[in-house]
Formats: sequence, C-alpha cells, structure tokens
Amino acid sequence: MADINPPGMPIERGKIHEFANSIGCDDPLYHDAEAAKAAGLPGIVAPLTYTAATAFFQPSDAPNLIKDLGLDMRFILHGGQEFFYERPVFAGETLIAEQGETVKTVKEGKRGGSMQIFDSFTNYKNQDGELVLRVKNTLIQTGGVVKE
Amino acid sequence: MSTDLFTSIKEGDEFAFTKKDFTRTDFARYAGGGGDFNPIHHDQTFAEKAGLPTVFGMGMLTAGILSRVPAEWFGAQNVKSFGIRFKTRLWPGDDVEFKGVVKKVYEEDGVTHADLDLTAINDKGEMLIQGFSTVRPWSA
Repeated sequence: MADINPPGMPIERGKIHEFANSIGCDDPLYHDAEAAKAAGLPGIVAPLTYTAATAFFQPSDAPNLIKDLGLDMRFILHGGQEFFYERPVFAGETLIAEQGETVKTVKEGKRGGSMQIFDSFTNYKNQDGELVLRVKNTLIQTGGVVKE
Repeated sequence: MSTDLFTSIKEGDEFAFTKKDFTRTDFARYAGGGGDFNPIHHDQTFAEKAGLPTVFGMGMLTAGILSRVPAEWFGAQNVKSFGIRFKTRLWPGDDVEFKGVVKKVYEEDGVTHADLDLTAINDKGEMLIQGFSTVRPWSA
C-alpha cells in the first residue's frame, strides 16, 4: 500500500466521523464543529482511542516493533494499552508519532510458560512540536500457544 | 458531562450501558474505522484454519466502546488518562455491559480529579477488558 506524504497523520473530521461511528460515539462533539465550539472547544474532538487507528497510518518503513524485537508473531498477545492526554486531539491538526523506549520484563505465566512483556512508549506531537498525548502499548510473548 | 459534575462526584458513583448482540458487521465497521484488517477479525475461512469457531472482535473495538464510559460521563476533553488490559475475546452474539465506578476523588494542584475503575463484561459474566481512567476538568 502507498504511504501518505508528507509523513504524519492529518486528523481529519471525515475519518473521526467514521471512527466515532464504528465505536458508537453519537456525541455531536465528534461530528459537528458548531456543537464542539458551543461546548467551548476549538473544534471536533477525536475519540479517546483514535490514535490506535492512526497506528495503521504509519509509513511502511517505520520501525516494526515485532520484527525489531525478534518476536514470534504466533505467540504474541496484545496485553493492553494506556493513553495519557495532555489535552484532547482536534480535527485539523497533524500528529507525528515518535517512538520512545521499550521496556522488557519477564514473568512466569500461568497459561503458557514464561512470558516476556514489552512496554513500548509513543509520544504524539502536533505540527508545532506540542506534546498532545503519550501512549504505552503492551505486547506479551508467551512461551507457547495460549489456550483459552 | 459538564464540569459541574466534578463538584458533586463521589466514591461509588456509577455509569453503565449495554451493547447487545455484537455482529460481524460491527467488527467490519471497526476494521474500516480503525484500520485493523487482520483477517482473524473478518474472514471466517481464515479463522477456521486458525482453529477458531469463527471470527472474534478486535480488542481495540471493545476498548474504544469502553472509552465512551469516561467520555460520555465526564466529557471527552476532561479525560486525563485511559488504560486497558485485555482479558478475553469478544465473539459475535455477545451482549456486553460497559461500566465505570468512581474509586477515588481527590484534589491535585487545586483541581478535582477522580480515578475510575472500568469493566467490559459479557453476558456469561466473563471480563473482556479491565480498564482505568482519571478524569479532571479541562478547558481550552
């Protein structure tokens, strides 16, 4: 697939509208610029987990955590995710993801031998270099196939 | 959903809604909205080859819906943090209750903050996601 150019993720009201509808967000703050302004906001707000969607907008040559860490895709679980907001994300800005450090911990698991837990941090800044939010993503590599 | 809420909020306050009967169309709509086209979430043939009875929902779909608890309760702009841990999978046909409970109310730098415990629990009583959030009034 082709990459977006210039790099960075334009926060567009059409994409927010589509994303918001896919998780059932009916609040006009996500769909109507006038309603957002009436609520004292500079513009349409992106839903809280919107940057999870923009993870798929990254260029094809962006660092691939799973590959870089030498993980086995068959045994990877998405353990969780945490979002820390300096402020809301608004339509009309452009966010740039900066990959921060990755912290590895090893834990004895109950279901599949020992687990390696990778917490990776991403900072999202806007076009003016302002930090908007930080995201911690947790990947778990199990010792074998996980049975539920 | 306004900042007035922060003056009356107290420990134990609750907010919840239920989404009934998740469908494969819900998963497909999130694939488009969120950009997750892993075939395990929309391709029955692929899911069966992976040894599963059918496709299952994206964790970030359930997480996105759970994020509406703090957002609809206190206003999206007033959410300071939102975190989730995935516990079990979302299957077609599941009814899921999304719920938040105020765990702690406190002042930080003269501003009222509240920590919330969040859960997404299916009709079999299984927890799909455990979540947590901190809210405080924010203005532009």
